[in-house]
Amino acid sequence: MTAAALPPAFTAAVTTAAVLGCLAYLAAAARLRARGDAWPYGRDALFCAGGAVLVAGVAEPWGSAPPFTAHMLTHLCVGMVAPLLLVLGRPLTLTLRAAPVPVRRGLVALTRARWAAVPVLPPVAALLDFGGLWLLYRTPLLSVSHHSAWLNAAVHLHILLAGVLFSFGLLALDPVRHRPGMALRAAVLLAAGAAHAVLAKSLYAAGPPGTSFAAADLHLASQVMYYGGDAVELALAAVVACRWYRAEGRALRRARRTDRPTPRGTTAAAATRW
Amino acid sequence: MKRTRTVASGVLTGIGTAAFIDETVFHQLLHWHHFYDKSTTDVGLVSDGLFHAGSWLAMVAGLVLYADVRRRGKLVPRAWWGGLCLGLGGFQLYDGTFQHKGLGIHQIRYGVDLAPYDWTWNGIAVLLLAAGALLLVRASRATARTTSSYTAPTTTSRSR
Repeated sequence: MTAAALPPAFTAAVTTAAVLGCLAYLAAAARLRARGDAWPYGRDALFCAGGAVLVAGVAEPWGSAPPFTAHMLTHLCVGMVAPLLLVLGRPLTLTLRAAPVPVRRGLVALTRARWAAVPVLPPVAALLDFGGLWLLYRTPLLSVSHHSAWLNAAVHLHILLAGVLFSFGLLALDPVRHRPGMALRAAVLLAAGAAHAVLAKSLYAAGPPGTSFAAADLHLASQVMYYGGDAVELALAAVVACRWYRAEGRALRRARRTDRPTPRGTTAAAATRW
Repeated sequence: MKRTRTVASGVLTGIGTAAFIDETVFHQLLHWHHFYDKSTTDVGLVSDGLFHAGSWLAMVAGLVLYADVRRRGKLVPRAWWGGLCLGLGGFQLYDGTFQHKGLGIHQIRYGVDLAPYDWTWNGIAVLLLAAGALLLVRASRATARTTSSYTAPTTTSRSR
């Protein structure tokens, strides 16, 4: 069984969008620095790395790998690594600071809108992302999408957008209406990591319905998914933990300045700051 | 006193370390465990997935809590090591009894008499739990003795 290739027009569109997005990001960061604002170069590097991983994902340079393994490497790049790197670049914050005033007003209204807050709530974003994965691998969706290049493209677009939404909502580096608390983030990360690991491990034994990949291909692909998911989960957890550590540090310094004993009560307030 | 944070850091780091040792030594190096065991039940798979995902989170949370307690100058090394032993032993006992025997997710080895392996595995777990409890008791006694005059940290505070 061979996997359907992504339509060349889709690959071209995603590549163009990624290149233009990175150029726009670099231009905006340069504009900020030119007027004297600080914007760490590391964020430029993270965002551009995200763009590069995205392009690599849709260009599929591992084309000679077994079909399901190749599909899984694409999934890993497009749905997990690229979204994480793009979100770490804080594109929304940059746009809010660099864009012309009317655009900024629109974006501020968007970040405050009630409806826009729903899909970035970590549990909702996780459901869209990991629910979509279960649909893809545990219903005949994957085998059907192999016969339709455009359905295949739509599936990959969903994987990308859901991945971005999940990283965006969970890390909440950019301004959002409701900043999730530590307990919610940890619970969602645990549930999402478990859902991913269970799905990956079950693919070792039974491939998606309606497909007939070779056993060796299934085994390799499921391990790519399992350990790749681990790496991204670890990275997400490390980012959340480092932000908690810095917020605690700020609360600690504030408390020491005002010469109060370090209260536990400041913790929650500090963790919701950005 | 942020004693609970010290102990929590130790326990979480212990769980993460035990999971890491389990994965590296028994799966990757010795090949005693396997990636997927055909006898695995659905509930076993879910339990394993939750545990696997949780152990990474425990490691990250444990280390960042350690850094935080140390920064505050509130680290009690003996309590931390006690927590670490509890985490290591707790993981191993849960894995060895519930996951191996209750759910049958996988066994320590295949094709050999399991009894000596199971007794060794769970015996070490119980010893670790006992050592952890002992260390915690000694840590709290040491504090009780000195608490009236001495509340300063056992390590120097690194923050200015």
